[in-house]
Amino acid sequence: MLGRDSLGPGPATFNGKTKCSVKRTWGWGLMSETVLETKPVNAPSEDGKDAKPVVIHADERIAFRGPIQRVLVSPEIGAIIGAVLVWAFFWGNGAKFGTPGTTLIMLDSAAPLGIMAVVVALLMIGGEFDLSAGMMTGATGIMVGLMVKYFHGSGGPMWLAVGAAFILAGAIGFFNGTLVNRTGLPSFIVTLATFFILKGVVLVLAKRLEHKVQVSDVKDKSGFKGFASFFAREFKPERFTGRDVAFTLLGMGAVALGAAGLCEQSFIRRAAGSARAGASRVIIGIAGVVVAVLAFVMLQRTDSVGANVLWGVVGAIGVILAIVGLAMARYVASERPAASRPGLVAHRDLRAFTAAGVGAVAIACLAPLVLDRDERLPILTWFPTWLRPTIAAVAALTGVAIAFRQLWPRLRERFAWYRPIQAVAFVAIAGLLLMVALLSVLQLMTVQALRAVVMMTMSGVGLGLLMVARGRAAKVDRRAQSEIGALAVISIVVLAFVIRGDSDVSRFRSGLFTAMLTIATLLFANTVLEAMLRKRREADVKADRLGRRLLVAAFVCTGAAILVRVVFTNIDGQSEGGAGSNIARMSIVWWLLATVIGAFVLTKTKWGNWIFAVGGNKEAARAIGVPANRVKVALFVTVSLVGCFVGVMVLARFGSVQASQGDGLEFFYIIAAVVGGNLLTGGYGSVVGASVGALILTMSDSGIAAAGWNQDGKFAVKGVVLIVAVLVNNVVRKKAQEAR
Amino acid sequence: MSNDGNAQPAGAGQHKLLELQYISKFFGNVTALEDITTSVEAGKVTCVLGDNGAGKSTFIKILSGVHKPSTGQYLIDGEPVELASPRDARDRGIATVFQDLAMAPLLSVWRNFFMGSEPRKKFGPISWMDSEFAKKTAKEEMKKMGIDVRDIDQPVGTMSGGERQSVAIARAVYFGARVLILDEPTAALGVRQSGVVLKYIRAAAERGLGVIFITHNPSHAYPVGDRFLLLNRGKSLGDFAKSEIEITELTRLMSGGAELEALQHELSRGR
Repeated sequence: MLGRDSLGPGPATFNGKTKCSVKRTWGWGLMSETVLETKPVNAPSEDGKDAKPVVIHADERIAFRGPIQRVLVSPEIGAIIGAVLVWAFFWGNGAKFGTPGTTLIMLDSAAPLGIMAVVVALLMIGGEFDLSAGMMTGATGIMVGLMVKYFHGSGGPMWLAVGAAFILAGAIGFFNGTLVNRTGLPSFIVTLATFFILKGVVLVLAKRLEHKVQVSDVKDKSGFKGFASFFAREFKPERFTGRDVAFTLLGMGAVALGAAGLCEQSFIRRAAGSARAGASRVIIGIAGVVVAVLAFVMLQRTDSVGANVLWGVVGAIGVILAIVGLAMARYVASERPAASRPGLVAHRDLRAFTAAGVGAVAIACLAPLVLDRDERLPILTWFPTWLRPTIAAVAALTGVAIAFRQLWPRLRERFAWYRPIQAVAFVAIAGLLLMVALLSVLQLMTVQALRAVVMMTMSGVGLGLLMVARGRAAKVDRRAQSEIGALAVISIVVLAFVIRGDSDVSRFRSGLFTAMLTIATLLFANTVLEAMLRKRREADVKADRLGRRLLVAAFVCTGAAILVRVVFTNIDGQSEGGAGSNIARMSIVWWLLATVIGAFVLTKTKWGNWIFAVGGNKEAARAIGVPANRVKVALFVTVSLVGCFVGVMVLARFGSVQASQGDGLEFFYIIAAVVGGNLLTGGYGSVVGASVGALILTMSDSGIAAAGWNQDGKFAVKGVVLIVAVLVNNVVRKKAQEAR
Repeated sequence: MSNDGNAQPAGAGQHKLLELQYISKFFGNVTALEDITTSVEAGKVTCVLGDNGAGKSTFIKILSGVHKPSTGQYLIDGEPVELASPRDARDRGIATVFQDLAMAPLLSVWRNFFMGSEPRKKFGPISWMDSEFAKKTAKEEMKKMGIDVRDIDQPVGTMSGGERQSVAIARAVYFGARVLILDEPTAALGVRQSGVVLKYIRAAAERGLGVIFITHNPSHAYPVGDRFLLLNRGKSLGDFAKSEIEITELTRLMSGGAELEALQHELSRGR
């Protein structure tokens, strides 16, 4: 033990108030840190002999979490679900939203925000903010521009300017971090000061040298071309006739892998000996696969409606047979209950949930009948004359009733002379407010918009309620679960046909319709499996790992499918988003790279662990040997350097830069990080979430534009997105902490 | 050689891992500790008992290397040493589990377990954290302490106080502690949780560690302790082996002994 110097110290606990570890942390470089190498002192092999693994208690109160629950507690899940919903919302409302071409333009414009959100999220997880991050992108851009034009009289080479900008940015980051560490002041204040200093200096320099708040005409300076191609090269789409087939194949692969992964994580595998008994099921499963593939091939070949319906149905049956047959062969079947269980009828709360869900779906189905698709009148004007005052009165009365109900118990309890006046005022104001709110919504919203909103939200809410009911039923009654699952499948199919019958846009008629029927098929298969197989209740390392790998493969397949669709164009691809507009830019690649590197560093390296530790409990982290101050400085420097990177990227992209570039964007970085599930208090969060958060913010901007709505509404939308995200995060975090 | 403490619990008890001889500590003209003598043997639990202000915190700080004793000798393995810093103490295998436990509540168990000492894997110039090894090891080590953590990914904040203590203890043990100093581990816990922690203390001792258990609760100290050091206002009231003292006597000394009797006398006279 005493001769352990070669192994490094055992970093057990010690009091954090001393300076020894802090002093040692100021050397730079990853490898210089032998101090903190891990060397377990008692090797497991030796310990295996003398240790007495007497387990005192296995906590039976901790329930096993299935794959879905496990995913649901990850910090970025709210953002991902939110992104899908926002995407679906704007996809349904704007014809120009969601085509490959517009998506690429959107991603290009989102890239600076996305890249910055990644590093700002890291900093936030580390427990700090950087308000100078936004200005940093502008300041470095301006600085490079000015240096290229005016350095040494007639301008210097671009690489020198960029190098100088990086050094300056790093120095500013170092200054921020060191000041925060040394003084213990909130980083909010320190970086706010940096922000103002940067802003002032940039404005003064730009105005003195350029006589305006913009640096332009950088494009023809020496070395610009190289940087432009490095940061903002354009990729024109290749023509590839097999694009759609490749896309579909990859999509199906993703579905198959995902289904397999989920099954592997949810069900109990059969023992090897009983495999023989499953031979007939394997045959059914393989037959299902063959039928599904055949149907798919035929769907690609034929084009008449009758044949499409036929092969679609055959394909769905094939998929169900394949999944059920193969899963039944691999996993343990559930024991059948002796007597038939009561089912859905017996559970009152489940019944209520299910009824509400079916009702919401029904409303969504009926909305197209009542509301006219092409009616652009405001709803209030569209109503018959007698209905308008009636609605106003009803709204006012509802407000009054709600306010009165809130007040009544308190009034009865303590009757003071001023109470009645207060109460009357409160009730009146509440009534008035509700009336005004309702009327203004009705006045602002067109019938068309209401129709879209009702169809989307009601179908979403309805299906959501059904899924929640199904999840609850799983805990009490299997039969009820199957029944609700069947209802959900029927609801999706009905909705799909309603949408198909209602719309004449091809992407609803074919795209959404196919997607919904596919989902219905998979849900049906899932319902059957849930009813037939026994669920796993404890961890199984091997099966969990295999399942996880399958799910990762499914994600990769999905990514590849999207990539194929974006990078290639098929013969008529030109018509999809305007002529030849599928242009990808290098910035998107940088964004992806930043996200991947950020996520890797955060979840897979010791630095990531340190960031979490420092943000979660700085004193504890330091006490246990994490170089807390160095982590913080490194984070600040990273944010500044990446800010510089983004500044140069924007300059290279446009050839000019505004002095106001990035001013105020720091809040959007923080918003993106928060929307992505990062805690404002640090110690918890996700880089992928922050990236997705940036995507959500950008989607809400370009979605409003694509839908042709008032552009100024985007701020309101961002506010709504932010508050919803924060609320969802709160719930998710609480769930994460209590549900385990 | 680093394993000698763990590998031969049979030889435990003979060898004094850590010994204090006539330790005093002065802060200016305040005497915080005076002439304290005690020792810890491998596989044994030494309890340090004292009420508030008895000098327990100063005692811990001297043990863990935060303060240097003003007079007296600090011996490790029979050799006098002068600890330069807590890190120095740690390097010599003396681990302190403080009351606030040094954990990030939102981090998972295994991340907390390896916080600051992440196991690493390398491929060329890129090195990353070996999370599979970390998860497996954390789980195994917790199991050795007698806790089956079903979900090693659960945030430490969701664990009960006793379980959190046990994570801290298991961590200290894993990273090579031979002497474990526990600062009031049962102070903030309920009756059952305290019992659980006491079991872990015993488990740690049975694995061959010397444990110094600081507490103000004699009924927690007596069942697990092999040796008892009583502190009162910076002075030692005695350093007893378990055979030399009964729990009633321990309680009496703890609660001020003679002072309490005088107080009782006074109260009864006042009536």
